[in-house]
Amino acid sequence: MSKIISVHSFRGGTGKSNTTANIAALLAMDGARVAVVDTDIASPGIHVLFNLDESEMVHSLNDYLWGKCTIEEAAHDVTGHVGGEIKGQIFLIPSSIKPGEIARILREGYDVGLLNDGFRDVVDKMKLDYLLIDTHPGLNEETLLSIAISNALIIILRPDSQDYQGTAVTVDVAKKLDVPKMVMLVNKTPSTFDFDDVRTRVEQTYDATVGAVLPHSDEMMVLASSGIFSIRFPDHPVTKGLRSLVDQVK
Amino acid sequence: MKPSPYELALKEIQAGKTDMMPSDILAFAEPLRSAVNAMIRLGRFSLTEFTEKLGFTREQTKNIADALVQRKLFEIAKYSTAEETFYIAHLSGSTRPLTRPPSDIWKKID
Repeated sequence: MSKIISVHSFRGGTGKSNTTANIAALLAMDGARVAVVDTDIASPGIHVLFNLDESEMVHSLNDYLWGKCTIEEAAHDVTGHVGGEIKGQIFLIPSSIKPGEIARILREGYDVGLLNDGFRDVVDKMKLDYLLIDTHPGLNEETLLSIAISNALIIILRPDSQDYQGTAVTVDVAKKLDVPKMVMLVNKTPSTFDFDDVRTRVEQTYDATVGAVLPHSDEMMVLASSGIFSIRFPDHPVTKGLRSLVDQVK
Repeated sequence: MKPSPYELALKEIQAGKTDMMPSDILAFAEPLRSAVNAMIRLGRFSLTEFTEKLGFTREQTKNIADALVQRKLFEIAKYSTAEETFYIAHLSGSTRPLTRPPSDIWKKID
């Protein structure tokens, strides 16, 4: 049975897109058919991780929302773009990176109901095992929509005071929307922190399972979103943590 | 006299006039919120399934479903029969145009 997984955080810069891309890659390496949709229409970026150049984007999520194409026509097969041994397939539904198109969608708005229908249609028509939703940070109608239809939700936070309070709001909302599976991911954790202590504190504070505590990684910073980390560094502690997270949400 | 959970649920739905958005669901009291959440996740469901989840009588559940159809959260499926009504859940069917900012800053980006 198909599964919809949303990756969300209250604040920006927590590592949503990187996490989403890596989860997609790890699932596809195990043989799954996975699609990723970039719903961060205001600041799209995950296409960079999948090496999908703007010139290769035939259609985008924006085109679907404007009725110019079906949702499947906006799905690009990026399996061959990421390297590694992928037994399954990865598709990306990108948001447009053209300034005029971003401005237009911000100016005119769009039918959020179409987004809802699109998620269901793409799962059915492309016979997906997983649909991963890379969300905009913070709470708005679109992120609430993603959470409301997801079978699993990954909430990312950094061990940073600016993340803590807002994450509590997000957790509370997710519980009110009865997400069947909710897992926390603590990202970019300094090596000087006691990781077990971080896990315990987060679990107690939010009354939620911590899927993984990932270390801050210089290798990740140097890679700088030029590729999928778990493919480039298959034995890194970050990759091991991401595999553990995947096992808990799939 | 205190309203019953059914009366409260109906009142909550009918209080809003706009198409239903995800944030509206958050404000619902139980058992309506959980039942609606469950139906949204199912996407396509029957009146029987909604009745089982909501815990009201079938007639009461039908009234609730009709109110949610009015607010465009539910749509009656074409394959409904005389014996069973089927619904499709569409979260946030409304268009959400944003107001233009005071300056014509958008022209600089177009």
